[in-house]
Amino acid sequence: MRVSAIGLVLLACWMVYLDAVVTSRFEGRRFEVPSRVYARPLELYDGAGVSSGSLERELALAGYRKGDGVKPGSYRRNGGHFIISTRGFRFPDGSEPRRTLSLNIYGDRIQGFSVSSGENAAIVRLEPARIGGIYPAHKEDRILVRLEEVPQLLPKALMAVEDRNFYSHFGIAPASIGRAMLANMRAGQIVQGGSTLTQQLVKNFFLTRDQTLLRKGNEALMSILLEWHYEKDDILETYLNEVYLGQAGTRSINGFGLASQFYFGESLKDLDVHQIALLVGMVKGPSYYNPRRHPERAIQRRNLVISEMEDAGLIDSAKAARARGLSLGVSVKPSYSENRYPAYIDLVRRHLARDYKEADLRSEGLRIFTTLNPAIQYAAEYAITDTLPRLASGDVGKALEATLVVTAKDTGEVLALVGGKDPQFAGFNRALDANRPIGSLIKPFTYLTALEQPDRYTLMTPVLDKSFTLEFDDGRRWQPKNYDGEERGEVPLHRALSKSYNLPAVRVGLDVGVPAVIKTLRAFGVATPISEYPSMLLGSVAMSPVTVAQIYQGLATSGFNTPLRTIREVTDSAGGALSRYSLEVDQVADPAAVHLLQYAMQETMQEGTGRSAYYSVPKELTLAGKTGTTDDGRDSWFAGFSGDLLAVAWVGRDDNGPTALTGATGALPVWSRFMAQVPQHGFSPVIPDGVSYHWVNPEKQALTDEYCDNARLLPFISGSEPTQRVSCSGTLERKIRGWFEGLFQ
Amino acid sequence: MSRQGVFHVGMLAAFLSLAGCATGPGGPIYVPAGGSERAPEPPQAAEGKDETQVWRKSEQTENREPEQQPQRSSKPSYQDAGDALSPAALSLVREADTLLKSGDAQGAIVRLERAQRIAPRSAEVYFKLSEAYVAGNKLGPAEQFTLKGLSLAGSDTRLQRAGWLLLADIRRARGNLAGASQAEERAAAL
Repeated sequence: MRVSAIGLVLLACWMVYLDAVVTSRFEGRRFEVPSRVYARPLELYDGAGVSSGSLERELALAGYRKGDGVKPGSYRRNGGHFIISTRGFRFPDGSEPRRTLSLNIYGDRIQGFSVSSGENAAIVRLEPARIGGIYPAHKEDRILVRLEEVPQLLPKALMAVEDRNFYSHFGIAPASIGRAMLANMRAGQIVQGGSTLTQQLVKNFFLTRDQTLLRKGNEALMSILLEWHYEKDDILETYLNEVYLGQAGTRSINGFGLASQFYFGESLKDLDVHQIALLVGMVKGPSYYNPRRHPERAIQRRNLVISEMEDAGLIDSAKAARARGLSLGVSVKPSYSENRYPAYIDLVRRHLARDYKEADLRSEGLRIFTTLNPAIQYAAEYAITDTLPRLASGDVGKALEATLVVTAKDTGEVLALVGGKDPQFAGFNRALDANRPIGSLIKPFTYLTALEQPDRYTLMTPVLDKSFTLEFDDGRRWQPKNYDGEERGEVPLHRALSKSYNLPAVRVGLDVGVPAVIKTLRAFGVATPISEYPSMLLGSVAMSPVTVAQIYQGLATSGFNTPLRTIREVTDSAGGALSRYSLEVDQVADPAAVHLLQYAMQETMQEGTGRSAYYSVPKELTLAGKTGTTDDGRDSWFAGFSGDLLAVAWVGRDDNGPTALTGATGALPVWSRFMAQVPQHGFSPVIPDGVSYHWVNPEKQALTDEYCDNARLLPFISGSEPTQRVSCSGTLERKIRGWFEGLFQ
Repeated sequence: MSRQGVFHVGMLAAFLSLAGCATGPGGPIYVPAGGSERAPEPPQAAEGKDETQVWRKSEQTENREPEQQPQRSSKPSYQDAGDALSPAALSLVREADTLLKSGDAQGAIVRLERAQRIAPRSAEVYFKLSEAYVAGNKLGPAEQFTLKGLSLAGSDTRLQRAGWLLLADIRRARGNLAGASQAEERAAAL
């Protein structure tokens, strides 16, 4: 008697404990959803720059299938002609409805864009590709679905196969165990399990799957408790979101919502009978019946489920026969894979960390709309993996690393980020964390500081290319040198920059003053301390590639700082706006002075240290940029821009060891390889107010005529152009020739 | 801030959108040869014992002209005015106009940022952004977007005048009277 009383008390305590466990698991696990990270949506409109190849890649990334172009989520391609049936997508600023689009791609541009069904529009966004997630510690991934959104056939089929009396039992169903045994004997194999859906859900809450009697007992008790606390529909909805249906690397695919995307690339609400049957069938053994790995088993299992559905009266026999005749219909690859762009996602997470808690990112199911451009990222990764092995051989070659940061010149959106030679490696992110001396990349800021004083400096101003020694108060001496050790006497300022001569740069920097150059750098976005030691004029200051991209943004956009962004918007799981990161511009330099500097940076590409870019880039693509090299080739930099893109490349070793590379032979080949792959506009800045172009003879510091020798068309800030004029002693014949040459250039 | 000033800005920007030209998308586009799958070969670095090649420490390439000549590049490029709005960008600007009229400045900004991404060198888009920020009573960003638009107006005196007058209104509303009259003088001098 006493023993049984103690037993009852113990059981009661145990029940209280189990009750606490099961309710906390149920409440906690029901809502833990990883954040979803999306690429920028591709904008389709007449004139959009996109190649057929990159459109196909983009469609594949967004889970589109090549097919008839009629079913939502499919497209048809015939040469450059595309028919695309979009699925529609709810963006933070409104919905893009389902549409059928027709377009041609000619010369890497969209032409003849039209909407053949659905709401008409001149510009349409494709659904954005999902490029990653921020996962809870247990690495479960899911897309939450609500019971009322789910096709009615799914829960009915699930109950027909797994738990016929779900709505009438109290958590466990002893009768169903017997029935299941009977059904299994009749079929000659296991078609039904004895566990109720509630028991399966409870089982899913625990990580171990050992089938001890104690476990079974606990499961049964917890199932009863769960049923006691919650409504049937709540339990069913949680089951639909909880059930394990596959594995992608370390990430588990939970719930029918994600499984539908993962196996078919389609939304759950769009699934057909045969697809629903496959997913229901897979509950029994997601890895055993994996339709990608074991299609035969999967199809058998699916057809068995179809028969069960038919027996239960859910579908008629004609429909069942048709469904059995169909192929599995799974997509070749999962529509996205985890962590395809680890370096980029790393930057996204750091930007998110300013406004969000890590725990919320891991569990609140936020939707993060980033600025990643998959086509640009592809080109950037390719440029590094293809170029790096050619730059050096042996041990140096093995040790060589590289990064590439690409931004949209006028928006500051980070379009691509490669953190090392293995773009899939999620470790040290050089683009963000490798702070290295920037070498000659600093020179444009020195010359800009000078050019902002048009009464003292123009592009034509002669600067001395002659060595000198600085002696400091403590007796130390500094004697800067040109890289090639030569001295050229006097050189015009524009050439001193385009050829990256050191001595003129230091002289100009000391003349305008190191503090003034530092002030310019600060205005352009350098937030870290900068030493006032004159060697900073040759780039002893260290920065990460992303910081370099930030400060070059102002040079590329006529003096407007544009903060770099990786995120456009963050919404909650229901699509409600949480944060928006808007475009910002801030004028930090005189556009006229920047225009002059941009001239010299274009000259760098055409006549100076950057001209080997045109080995791989056709001359039509006008570019501007600057090389940078540090002692013994420890850092090879190139930063430059076209009309649309700004890119910063760095090549060097993690151990800061020497290489035989310069900016022109290391980073520039990576940079130009990237630029050569992307359809884009050339750089052609608008002449700002207060700037005019004049033909001059820089050697004589005078205006001259276009056809004269040494004539050069240079921009001047109005009032700073030379006043005297020299004319060349050209004959009439020579003048005419010069005139014709000008005409046909 | 002065309500009258804001009203003036709104009218001016409305003029801009009505007058905004809808000619084709701006500028020629560079097309990679054969697509990214068959991009041209990059320059190859010399192989072998690099230590003996002192010249490689030089950034200046004139002493080591490679056998292969780079393609003769064109002269530094420039243009007299920014790009005209493409029909796609114009359709977004029109949507933004509708939202602005209904008092949804934030919605208008979202549309205009989308337009700016596809037409980043069009002065009109920045002037419209400025108008939307004025409507949202954010005059700091409004002034910056006007300046950005002006940097792209080039020799288009219609845009220049509109921009300087817009800037004058915004500066006056911000209490910068000297800056406002300076901007007005610029407009008058055109």
